[in-house]
Amino acid sequence: MTTADIYKTDPSPVAPHGGIMRRLNVGTGIIAGIVLAVVANVLAKKLADGHTHEPDVRAVFTMFGWAVGFLLGMGAFTGPFRWLVGRDLTHADELFLAGKDQGVGRYFRFTTDHKVVGIQYLVLVMVMLGAGGSMAMLIRTDLISPNSGFLGPQTYNSLVGLHGLTMILATIIMVTGPFGNFVVPLMIGARDMAFPRLNALSFWLLVAMLPILYSAAFLGGIPMGWVGYTPIADQGPPGVDAYMMAILVFAVSTAVAGMNITTTIVTMRARGMTWTRTPIFVYGVLASVVLALPAFPFFMAAELLLFVDRVMGGGFYVPNRGGQPWLYQNLFWLMGHPEVYVILIPAVTALMELTAVFARKPLFSFRIAVLSIIAIVGLSATVWAHHMFASGWAPDLNGPFMLTTEMISIPTGGLFLVILGTIWRGRIWTAFPMMCTYAMLWNFIIGGITGIYLSDVPLDYQLHGSMFVTAHFHYTLMGAGLTGAMGALGYWFPKMTGRMLGNTPAFVSFWLVQIGFNVTFLGMFMVGLQGQPRRVVHYDASFHTGNTISTLGAYCIGIGMLVLLYDVISSWRHGDLAPMNPWGAKTLEWTVPNPIPLENFAVLPVVTEDAYGYGEEPVPESEPEPVPASAGAEADVPGAPA
Amino acid sequence: MSVETTPADRQGRSRSEELKTLTILWAIFTVLGVIFALIVPHHLMGPSASNTMTEVERTFTMFSVASAPVAAVVWALAVYSLMRWRRRGAWKEGDPDGPPLRGHGMTSGIWIFLSSALCLFLLIWGLAALSKVDSAAASGATPLEIDVTGQQWVWTFSYPSQGVESDQLVLPVNRPVVFKVTSDDVIHSFWLPEMGIKVDANPGVTTSTSTVPDRLGLYHVRCAELCGLLHADMETNARVVTSDDFDTWIAGQGGHA
Ligand SMILES: [Cu+2]
Ligand SMILES: [Cu+2]
Repeated sequence: MTTADIYKTDPSPVAPHGGIMRRLNVGTGIIAGIVLAVVANVLAKKLADGHTHEPDVRAVFTMFGWAVGFLLGMGAFTGPFRWLVGRDLTHADELFLAGKDQGVGRYFRFTTDHKVVGIQYLVLVMVMLGAGGSMAMLIRTDLISPNSGFLGPQTYNSLVGLHGLTMILATIIMVTGPFGNFVVPLMIGARDMAFPRLNALSFWLLVAMLPILYSAAFLGGIPMGWVGYTPIADQGPPGVDAYMMAILVFAVSTAVAGMNITTTIVTMRARGMTWTRTPIFVYGVLASVVLALPAFPFFMAAELLLFVDRVMGGGFYVPNRGGQPWLYQNLFWLMGHPEVYVILIPAVTALMELTAVFARKPLFSFRIAVLSIIAIVGLSATVWAHHMFASGWAPDLNGPFMLTTEMISIPTGGLFLVILGTIWRGRIWTAFPMMCTYAMLWNFIIGGITGIYLSDVPLDYQLHGSMFVTAHFHYTLMGAGLTGAMGALGYWFPKMTGRMLGNTPAFVSFWLVQIGFNVTFLGMFMVGLQGQPRRVVHYDASFHTGNTISTLGAYCIGIGMLVLLYDVISSWRHGDLAPMNPWGAKTLEWTVPNPIPLENFAVLPVVTEDAYGYGEEPVPESEPEPVPASAGAEADVPGAPA
Repeated sequence: MSVETTPADRQGRSRSEELKTLTILWAIFTVLGVIFALIVPHHLMGPSASNTMTEVERTFTMFSVASAPVAAVVWALAVYSLMRWRRRGAWKEGDPDGPPLRGHGMTSGIWIFLSSALCLFLLIWGLAALSKVDSAAASGATPLEIDVTGQQWVWTFSYPSQGVESDQLVLPVNRPVVFKVTSDDVIHSFWLPEMGIKVDANPGVTTSTSTVPDRLGLYHVRCAELCGLLHADMETNARVVTSDDFDTWIAGQGGHA
């Protein structure tokens, strides 16, 4: 039977109110998830009764049952299922799925509209940052004095791991999730993503993941930090199963989201939006997901092998069974280093995008920006073993990995050049988003330079595993990455919510967060240099000063974040209504009205020049169109502008 | 893309004055950075207790000094842009834009050349230091071999040639020492912070590291890899003593010199 036949057998264009599909939402998802989890748990008990791995078998069955049940109950598979039984979705069904005329309810359904998914991601990211941030506060409170006794070692170790994993997962999605989904289709002049149902799936997979991840806290915790090193992970309590299953679900989500975003950007740009006219933020999002697509399967493979070890009695990582812990480390860091740039590139390009707007100048050397991004993406796949200099694995390779790592500083310098060049002689408007650009410049130069110390093998022998490393990557991921995401939030908030983000609280929050941040992590550099290891629940009295400074700084960040949260919520509810284009930007997302209609553009735009023509005369219409380099874009780009 | 536009933007100061202010700012930041680099890291890392640590501190200071002018470029440009080009009040429809500067071949060229040169310098420095560290114990007197075993959550040091086993590390001063490191259970990391050496203790394999302790005193052995419940307690003392005191200690432990 061909697809055409299936369409013919569909008797009416409108199914009778879409049947059960219209009754599914997050509530039915939770119910179905719990039911299937209980069923799977009982089944697992029957299967593995009395076996050594029984607790692990039951844990993973239950978690798997929850995830599948939740997605089924959400209606995530309604489309494929209806297609299988010969009742493909009608246009009315598709509109229902897109959330047409459903008010707030659409945020609690399997809604496909990219703008709904973008907002869902934004809320999810804030929830995760809140959870991870609260854990950070507990950790820092414990470390306020050498032997505070605030947390026991088991709680502390679990918190360190869960804080790390929560924050890594949150920062991976914090730009490509909210802004990649909401803004990118608008920015490239598309009506939606290429695969709207996969878009919704990528989000709800993450919602399914969160209870799995945090169940670790009730299953004995995780003793091995967010990196999940083996063989300690092999020996851990069932909390480790939660860690492993959460990562597997997350990896599926990023794969789905990654191919969706890639396809959208490559094939759905507006007529005339050649690669040289595509905004830099679109490149940033594309680079991020293109890098994540090959990187995350390594993480998935690492956890699958751990799954076999823990649940099925394998021994991939168990030395006395011929296993090899360095295998895990290699697989992990093959994901772990690219992931740093998965986080950083979209955040930095978001700042580039808004720097051009707030300096009222074209982006300085678009070409260097693009080439730097490409070089970083390429190089970042070749540096993973710099995390293993001190592990004893392949000492002969330390030199080559030092080379590739230090080479990344050249294209990273290119990113600085682009931003500084754009600021040069601009008409700089230091609104909140632009302040984030300046904060990023300050933080990222410190994060970058301390990264060079760590790339140097003899220095890394000393600094690896110390608080210096912790401070370094917080400077990059938080100081540059999260600051970039906050700039992006301030910049696109008016388009996403239709209201302006309140200026004064944003200003107060900015200074609290940035000063608190620098105090926290300069204190941490200090104790790292003095010789304090990472992930310790108590420490030598000689590290007291730096730790107290760090803790006070952390509280300052916490208060600043609460101020920002207050600002976001209150502005979202009753902030000033935003004009269509409050910043006077030239990218396409600012050409749609507030609130944005369901399919964004009444008439799809045609692009005749890039979005950075500040201070320039508009390009004359007769200018010949360059031929696009990519085969994928050819279909979209006609020979001449309309 | 790289349309080179000479900005006819000459409000107020001339271009040379602009460069002069920038250079002064840059010089100030560089000097501050260099002073910081020369004093602070060394002060925090404390007096070195081995030739390896001396090398580590020298490299750290050197990299910090080399980074100062780089960071100063970014800070000077950022600060200057805020001093000179900051707009008072919000943007309004119809305000003039900045100059349409889409790139500047010369600037980009110099930027990329300098960052590549700096990167090359760091690499050469790093490789040289690496070979020095690696060959530290290869020369001179016969190295003392010590087998280090990590287990949850204690360190054990055995001196095979002397027939001694201890949970304290005692080292004779100025004699090269080679540590053969392994673990009985999970991964630990053998770290002598004052001596600048660290290598993971992996179950099932032996890794090694070496140094020459060159300063008498009481130092620390710490575990630098999260290894479970009492990871934070997995530390002990490392004592560097004179050769005579070392022989006395060995004899006291029932060993032979
Ligand atoms: Cu890395
Ligand atoms: Cu340990």
